[in-house]
Amino acid sequence: MANKFCVSLTHGKDNTDKATVGFVVANAAVGSGKETLVFLSVEGVRLAQKGFADNIHEEGFAPLRELMENFAKAGGIIYVCSPCFKKRKLDENNLVAGASIVGGAKLVEFLSDGSPCVSY
Amino acid sequence: MVEGVVEWDAGELGCGELVLELRSRLAPMNPGELFRLVALDPGAPADIPAWCRMTGHTLVSTQHPVYLIQRKED
Repeated sequence: MANKFCVSLTHGKDNTDKATVGFVVANAAVGSGKETLVFLSVEGVRLAQKGFADNIHEEGFAPLRELMENFAKAGGIIYVCSPCFKKRKLDENNLVAGASIVGGAKLVEFLSDGSPCVSY
Repeated sequence: MVEGVVEWDAGELGCGELVLELRSRLAPMNPGELFRLVALDPGAPADIPAWCRMTGHTLVSTQHPVYLIQRKED
């Protein structure tokens, strides 16, 4: 059984349901003892900006900000797609806890150990 | 409240929120200690046994919504 788990998340406010469920599943993975990565790309990179997720709260789920904070506190890591981030002219000095801007090689390295990956 | 057994009523909490909280509650316990969980979420009957298999904790008994878990060795 692989000890790593990746959640690829491509949505932010364009699909708050997917953004929320992505982090719920990521929390299930980190809560199950997996080294867990959330890879934010496309519109998902906006979630890496402090304050962006503050008003996202899907019915039946905890607020997204809380889900993200709990994920980081539990040791979860967040990779933010560099070209997606730059394209949107976001602020690299205003990242949420656990987030770092990376290129594709970091994602490939993480997955190369046989990590499963689910996408939202 | 049963003496020597840590108890937690998770209510409707489920999926990632449930197991992440479970993880943090079992971590400070001593190996072998018992944890009585009440989880109403309809996914719990499948999730809790899977979570125990992955983490190494022992699922002593299960009668939804009550789960008795023995904390693993360090």
